[in-house]
Amino acid sequence: MFLSETGQFSTRYADDRRVFRLRQARLGIVALLAFAYLAVPLWASDYWLSAILIPFLVLSLAGLGLNLLTGYAGQLSLGTAAFMAVGAFAAYNFQLRVEGLPFLASFLLGGLVAAAAGVVFGLPSLRIKGFYLIVSTLAAQFLVEWALTKFGWFSNFNPSGVITAPPLSVLGVDLSSPAGRYLLTLAVVTVLFVVAVRIVRSDLGRSWMAVRDMDTAAAVIGIPVARTKLLAFAIGAFYCGVAGSLWAFAYLGTVEPHGFDLNRSFQVLFIVIIGGLGSILGNFLGAAFIVLLPLLLSNLGGSLLSGVIAPGDTENLQKILFGVLIILFLIREPEGLASLWRGLRARARVWPLRD
Amino acid sequence: MSTVARPLAPGADVPLLAVDGISLSFGGVKAVTDISFAVRSGEICSLIGPNGAGKSSLLNVINGVYRPQRGRVVYDGVAAARITPRRAARSGIARTFQNVALFKGMSVLDNVLTGRNLQVRAGWFRQVLGLRAAREEADGHRRKAEEILAFLHIQAYRDTPVGKLPYGLQKRVELARALAAEPRLLLLDEPMAGMNLEEKMDMSCFILDINRDFGTTVVLIEHDLGVVMDISDHVVVLDYGRKIADGAPAEVRDNPDVIAAYIGSAH
Repeated sequence: MFLSETGQFSTRYADDRRVFRLRQARLGIVALLAFAYLAVPLWASDYWLSAILIPFLVLSLAGLGLNLLTGYAGQLSLGTAAFMAVGAFAAYNFQLRVEGLPFLASFLLGGLVAAAAGVVFGLPSLRIKGFYLIVSTLAAQFLVEWALTKFGWFSNFNPSGVITAPPLSVLGVDLSSPAGRYLLTLAVVTVLFVVAVRIVRSDLGRSWMAVRDMDTAAAVIGIPVARTKLLAFAIGAFYCGVAGSLWAFAYLGTVEPHGFDLNRSFQVLFIVIIGGLGSILGNFLGAAFIVLLPLLLSNLGGSLLSGVIAPGDTENLQKILFGVLIILFLIREPEGLASLWRGLRARARVWPLRD
Repeated sequence: MSTVARPLAPGADVPLLAVDGISLSFGGVKAVTDISFAVRSGEICSLIGPNGAGKSSLLNVINGVYRPQRGRVVYDGVAAARITPRRAARSGIARTFQNVALFKGMSVLDNVLTGRNLQVRAGWFRQVLGLRAAREEADGHRRKAEEILAFLHIQAYRDTPVGKLPYGLQKRVELARALAAEPRLLLLDEPMAGMNLEEKMDMSCFILDINRDFGTTVVLIEHDLGVVMDISDHVVVLDYGRKIADGAPAEVRDNPDVIAAYIGSAH
């Protein structure tokens, strides 16, 4: 149909390497970015911005971090929320203890501390794989949550362990309004997604996939397997760490260690599985599914079933329905929403170039 | 085994690869017992022998996947104290596997590019930043990968995930990935297993071309004796982990021990 490739030739390798090789795709992405940066902050309500779009973006970013680690490098992890917590609490402490540090710099430093934590908890991956690795990353989850609660220093001795967002401003522009926090989140997410796309298409990305698909063959062709795995943990945890900072400071404003519990790790894992392992776009799709579907169900339930069933029961019903939908979806499309998207794209290509 | 890398006497006709008194066992099972042979630079050497003779184990010793209990591998005049797969790859040894060991989720082109990972100079961060030098380097690797795809006639499958290719083509992609490293020594573990006659002829031609055009020394394991006798300069025969013959194809063919190992002897 409209995805005609007629007349669009790559005459240089650089053209062939482009992420959006087709003119239509490039136009599409420009339109999407213009919509997200200009139209949404102008017209979306505060509720949509702060309760739906910001968590959607932050969870996409956390999903991306886990996807780099699990979907690309093949290292299973349930430590996502731990890395988010490390990022958020580290950013908070840098902000607190370093005078005049721009808060974006503290996000970056928080991410780097999370990366270091990622390397430490990634060390078991050099010896163990699969389910056993999941168990060892689970240790990260419990250890971090415990340490942040146990040692008051991390939360500046706040009695309930809560940390509060620093004033959000960049170059003197105040970003504490919902639209401002949305734009901040969107900007960070955009930059980090571009970087991720370039990583997975670099030699490092290929090495990750090689280690994921067959580590003995990867070693035999000279890939440093241990370094490659640890780098995946570092970069994945960096992404989760920045996502944690955004979660704490751009979305919630205040957060306690239990805000980053095992449920959060599972939530991000579901995003990655539903979106599609080994897909960058899948993180957005999965996050949209996880964030929007419960809202849709609760609105539908509220309007259709009001009066028929007690309000408490509708909430349980929603959870059951949500679970059923996930199961049905994964049976129909085990490779996730991203593969659904690829199928649609293939159909939109003009015959005879359709595969 | 010596712990210091030591060069052999200069001026001697040094073989590219010398396997010297290798013994390897797993627990109580002896896979390879006291095997020695030498591969001259530029030749095609075939390892043959019945199943379980220890051929694959020997390849795994040569490129450091297994560590032998005794003996040493002298490569390019140097007996390395400890061979690891990565060190072997760095020193110019590439290989393919008996069961295709490709990266199934990646495209043919990405598999071949992965084979060039040791040639990549720009670090990942510079590649992500898209610095000019890194981009130009990536162009160079792509050009080389395309040359290899053309050489093996698999350009048409460039963007196909290797998991979707038929077996014969997967074998070819694996060869392409090994060639991408521009190896001096190519170890091929049953490159023609499971192929029909036509595919075997293609693969034989590729191996001969690689040997002739690139000057690559080849050590291959193959069960099809017709192919082996036609393309090899040198044949080593193993049986039950021991070497029973070593020489030119014609000598080996007439060796009574080899005939006994393959078709049995009259008692």
